[in-house]
Amino acid sequence: MMVRLALWLALQFVRIVSGLVPRAGRVQWMREWEAELRQHAVYLRRRRHPTWTMNLGLVQRALGALPDAAWIRRQFTLDADAVHDAGHALRVLATAPGFTGAMLLVFAVGIGSSTAIVSVADALFIRPLAVAQPDRVMTLWQFNRETAKGRLDVAPGNAIDWSMRARSFDAVGLAEPFMFNLNLAGREPDYIVTARVTEPFFTALGTPPLHGRLFLSEEYRRGAGRVVILSHELWTSRFGGDPSIVGTSVRLEGGIAYTVVGIMPAGLELRLFHDNSGARRPETRAWMPKQGFEDADVANRSGAFWNVVARLRRGVSIEEARAELGAISVQLAREFPQTNARISAEVVPLRAHLTGSLGDVLPLLLAAAAMLLIVACANVANLLLARGAARNREFAVRQALGASRVRLVRQMLVESLLLAVAGGSIGLILTRWTLDVIGRLKPQDIALVDRIPIDGRAAAIAFGVTMVAAVIAGLTPALHLSRPSAVNALREGRGSPRRGVRGALVVVEVAAAVVLTVGAGLLVRSFILIQRVDPGFSREDVSVLQLFSSPRTDTPAKRVVFYQQVLDRLSSLPGVLAAGAVTSMPFAEARVIVRGPLTISGRPPASGESALVYTSAVSGDYFRVMDVPLIAGRLFDRTDTPTSRQVALVSRRAAQQFWHGEDPVRSRIGFRFYGQAYDAEVVGVVGDVRHEALDRPEAAEVFLPYSQAGSTGLSFVVRTASASPVSLQAMKEQVWSVDPIQTVYSVGRLDQLISKTLVGQRFNLFVLGGFALATLLLASAGVYGVMSFSTSQRTQEFGLRLALGATGRDIIGLVLGEGLKLTGVGVMIGVGLALLLARFARQLLFGVTASDPLTFAVVTLTLMAIAAAASYLPASRALKIDPSISLRVD
Amino acid sequence: MNLTLPTTLVLHALANGISHGFDIIDATGLPSGTVYPILRRLERERLVSTRWEDHEIAREEQRPPRRYYELAPAGRAILETARARYPVPASIRSRVRRLRLARSS
Repeated sequence: MMVRLALWLALQFVRIVSGLVPRAGRVQWMREWEAELRQHAVYLRRRRHPTWTMNLGLVQRALGALPDAAWIRRQFTLDADAVHDAGHALRVLATAPGFTGAMLLVFAVGIGSSTAIVSVADALFIRPLAVAQPDRVMTLWQFNRETAKGRLDVAPGNAIDWSMRARSFDAVGLAEPFMFNLNLAGREPDYIVTARVTEPFFTALGTPPLHGRLFLSEEYRRGAGRVVILSHELWTSRFGGDPSIVGTSVRLEGGIAYTVVGIMPAGLELRLFHDNSGARRPETRAWMPKQGFEDADVANRSGAFWNVVARLRRGVSIEEARAELGAISVQLAREFPQTNARISAEVVPLRAHLTGSLGDVLPLLLAAAAMLLIVACANVANLLLARGAARNREFAVRQALGASRVRLVRQMLVESLLLAVAGGSIGLILTRWTLDVIGRLKPQDIALVDRIPIDGRAAAIAFGVTMVAAVIAGLTPALHLSRPSAVNALREGRGSPRRGVRGALVVVEVAAAVVLTVGAGLLVRSFILIQRVDPGFSREDVSVLQLFSSPRTDTPAKRVVFYQQVLDRLSSLPGVLAAGAVTSMPFAEARVIVRGPLTISGRPPASGESALVYTSAVSGDYFRVMDVPLIAGRLFDRTDTPTSRQVALVSRRAAQQFWHGEDPVRSRIGFRFYGQAYDAEVVGVVGDVRHEALDRPEAAEVFLPYSQAGSTGLSFVVRTASASPVSLQAMKEQVWSVDPIQTVYSVGRLDQLISKTLVGQRFNLFVLGGFALATLLLASAGVYGVMSFSTSQRTQEFGLRLALGATGRDIIGLVLGEGLKLTGVGVMIGVGLALLLARFARQLLFGVTASDPLTFAVVTLTLMAIAAAASYLPASRALKIDPSISLRVD
Repeated sequence: MNLTLPTTLVLHALANGISHGFDIIDATGLPSGTVYPILRRLERERLVSTRWEDHEIAREEQRPPRRYYELAPAGRAILETARARYPVPASIRSRVRRLRLARSS
């Protein structure tokens, strides 16, 4: 009986308390308590003698339903508040699309671009290399003290001496490029770069093979069998990535069989085989053992084409290694003064070598990224401060209506967070896009992965920094309310005294924008000037095909006949105006450069400087195709045969340098070309041509007719009528109609080849230009934000002025004056900084000085114009408000 | 998750197969006003999962179906930390053991 009463009381209590539980879960909550209480009553009844206290215990338990229901209620309210805050924030943001858009832009651009550039730095500097202890792996290069050019390939004789004399290294490996045609059944003939390496080469790398083994010591001995290690790339692309290929024999190099002993892992990048232009040849695709040095190797100190990779001995610093190699270079210069007087050695860590030219630009770009992030933060702070001040009244009203300070602060935080997350997400999309563009633009000399991953830490830092700025600036107005002045804010509708801070932020933004825009402007000017450089030939409507000699054309006579046939076929194509060929093609992918001393009438020219000339052989209508002018004498023609008198042409620069204005025609010159000595009569002078890049000067050149050389492969140049461009494939097919297995190393249009050499400039321009554009955008948003806020605060003042007889122009003038004053200060600071900083970018410039007045003027005017526009808009908007409204005090 | 001694005791009871609200109160000796909010919190943080008793059983007993609480894997993991911080008193252990026997019979 007593149990029943207790149960009834308990259930009544639970029922009353259930009112607290949100409706959605109320029935279930009731059911749970009822089930427990009833079950407990069952237990009580089962007892023989339930005592009073036991029955009371049932009621006591029911009392617990109150804290339970209260807890559930509180959670529900908190959740609802969060939802409410977010909803409110969204509504508030939607009512101010200008502010919201500006904030999103700032977050997106600030976070996006700084993350992108740090990701690039990361991919270059921090990415793991596929060698053991990468910091100890060095590349060694020749340095020419006369021309101050470094990173030059090494002459075999020097490389051998370095490797034998240097003690700073555990291993000094030598690599000799070995290129040949690879003809695999069922595939287009392919021209591949491989290397013959000495035994310490793989020791220096310390990379274990993926499959199989490295070469054995006896395989490096003269006369040992032919063995090969394939690169991962060649293995997968040409041999299907089948591990069972190890131990079998494959036909390489003119069908000769090699036994595959190993496969190297993917990602082994070395970018060796550097040529004189600074562009690197494709990655090595296979390695063979160098089986002993030839006498010619040991003696060769002038033809530099080997590469050296070394592993630094433990406990030896790079500086010590440099000092030792310096001393060895001095010894060699003494022993071989003719060849080594100006040659010293350069030690470059493998990582720095792989970073390429971007290594010089990267600090600049990182500085730009930091600057951009600062501007973004200034902007975030600025926009939020302005907006906060504008909302002082809203907050004051809400506080007066009973909103707690905590609630208001939370509201501001939610708003900032929403903006930051949305903006940051857009920013990350922007980052991915930027990185993809950078990946596509990547300069040839930079060993960048194709898809640069976004650096998570950089994104987090950029996001964090902007968030902190947003929180500080966002909270200021809310916290400000705790002061008594909140009451004043409510009463008068006046703004805050933080105008000075915002003005200073705008000045910072403008100054940073000036610095970055000046930088970008200088690069744009350089780029335009470089593209205007006349290479000495006309680049339009010319196609280039590079062919190398093959085992089927192994004598000069065979080569002359073969190449003449190809030339005839190409000339006969409909739409082809003229065709010619040359041994060293300007701007070609594989540039063959032959340089040697010149004698005039048996004596070195009395020029005082070194009489080195570039030498190449030409065939057909080469000069006519290239549009290189004939200045004096005649060009080669069909009367210049292998048996006729040896003849030569000289370039204008050679004529000036070696004949000092006298007519070189009919003088007798001596030079060497591919090991053969020539004693030729100069028959003409032709115009100068740039070979390597538009920003490098022309060299003195000597040409001889290919019919008298027959030395090596040729690059064909074909001029087509501009109306009917003949397809490159049609040209390739003409080659194959003469020899079906002849490799066409590269084909392309001449203007594209030139444009490829500008890829580095284009990359810098793109990245720095992007930064400059981003800061300009941010700075103009900043100026606009401050001016529009300041005018909105002064609406009453303007109304009063208008009522007192001021004209609209006066008001606009007033606002413009304020905007331009702020911007002017920023521009002045920025110009000063830019003058100071531009010096560091000097090596990137071409044809302009670091203080180019035109660039500075344009940038200054641009910024002032932007500031004027950004001030004009809010001013004109303020004028549209009816004075009867603007004067109303509410 | 804010770990307290009461939370630890509730987790311990749940880990030993005590699965109804009032049984947990009996096992831990904690008042109902403490145990229920703890259970709600654990459920919210997905440290326990809940289900309802079969309707057949409930009908037989002539009351609404009871609610079962069971430790989720995450809850099991956190119990280790909790036990390390608040050793469960022997008196509670034996109470839990006794109650489990009583309920299973």
